Amino acid sequence: MSFVPSSTIIAIISFILLYWFLSKYAFGPLFGIMEKRRELVQEQITTAEQNRKQSEQQLAEQKQALQDARKEAYEIIEQARLTSTKQADDIMDTAKSEASRMKNEAVKDIETEKNKAIAALRGEVSGMSVKIASKIIEKQIDEKSQEQLVDKYLKEVGGKS
Amino acid sequence: MERGEKTNMHEFPIIELGGLSFDLSSIIAIVVSTVICMVLGVLATRKLSVANPSKMQNFMEWTLEFVHNTVASTMPLDKAKKFINLAATLIMFIFVSNLLGLPFGVTFDAHHEVKWGNVVVVSQELVDEKGGAAHIAFWKSPTADIAVTSGLAIVSFFLIHFLGLKMNAKHYIKHYFKPFWIFFPLNIVEQVARPVSLALRLYANIFAGEVLISTILMLKWFGIPLLAVWQGFSIFVGAIQAFLFTVLTMVYISQAIVHEEHEEH
Repeated sequence: MSFVPSSTIIAIISFILLYWFLSKYAFGPLFGIMEKRRELVQEQITTAEQNRKQSEQQLAEQKQALQDARKEAYEIIEQARLTSTKQADDIMDTAKSEASRMKNEAVKDIETEKNKAIAALRGEVSGMSVKIASKIIEKQIDEKSQEQLVDKYLKEVGGKS
Repeated sequence: MERGEKTNMHEFPIIELGGLSFDLSSIIAIVVSTVICMVLGVLATRKLSVANPSKMQNFMEWTLEFVHNTVASTMPLDKAKKFINLAATLIMFIFVSNLLGLPFGVTFDAHHEVKWGNVVVVSQELVDEKGGAAHIAFWKSPTADIAVTSGLAIVSFFLIHFLGLKMNAKHYIKHYFKPFWIFFPLNIVEQVARPVSLALRLYANIFAGEVLISTILMLKWFGIPLLAVWQGFSIFVGAIQAFLFTVLTMVYISQAIVHEEHEEH
């Protein structure tokens, strides 16, 4: 076994060559990939965090919206109830006033008709009694004094009635 | 070792070229390991995907993260990238190198001088020395050659001190005189011992493994179960040694560059 210095030199040269070659073609790209993967993971973590925050926010928003909708629906129902009550009251009032108005009108009509009937009756009765009286006392008194007499009696009757 | 025993051991083809000697088997092994590492690296990171990584990609990412945790867990990823690259390259190269000598061997017996053109691959003297038949091995783990492990240790040594000076100069120089200036020689010894121990540890482990393999091979058929066990153990040793070399290098580097706050006060 002998020491051959040229082997040493060749070993050094080939080692340097190998180092250069491997760092350029093997480990260099591998480091690049590892760095890229690190970035990818970092990015994914960030994205996931963002998504989580976003979804939380959206959930809160939706809850709020649901709350609002519920409140609104309650308000609408309440309002409808109020409106309907009011409307019912209005209808009742209108109906009542209409009824009382119709009743009053009927009462008035009746009164008028009654008065008319009374007036007509009065005329009729006066005519008839004139005729009757004239027939009864035709011969006894003249027309003029007779009429005066009838009127006098009639007034007495009318006043009594 | 006695000459007689040595005939069983493999010799390596060392050629002379322009006044320099080259160990062919080491060169072949280094080149093969490097190419295997390159191919593995490219194959493993061929279809990269951010969202849907393949099993191989997962494994590579796990390796890088493991190295990151071991080397520079306090550094951010982009700053530590160079060190992770270095550590991953080291562990991969050493592991592949350690395993390279395990599966098979390319040997032939040279009974006379072998020549490629004018280049002497096996000299007549060597053949004569081995008693007329030299076992020449063309295939081995590059890390079973102390010259190669020295090369790696030199890379490590250079990096430790270069990075220490570049990134943490004041503290780095100061630490040679701690706790007292008189410890300076001791600190120097420590700094020198580190790469030497790195190179020797790796070399000794892998070389011993290969020696044992060739020794077991001498048992012929009886050696098969033993060989299976030892091959398995060698894989384990190879992994451990690759890990050790890398982690020690990284520890030394981090010692050199890390600014220790508590020492300031």
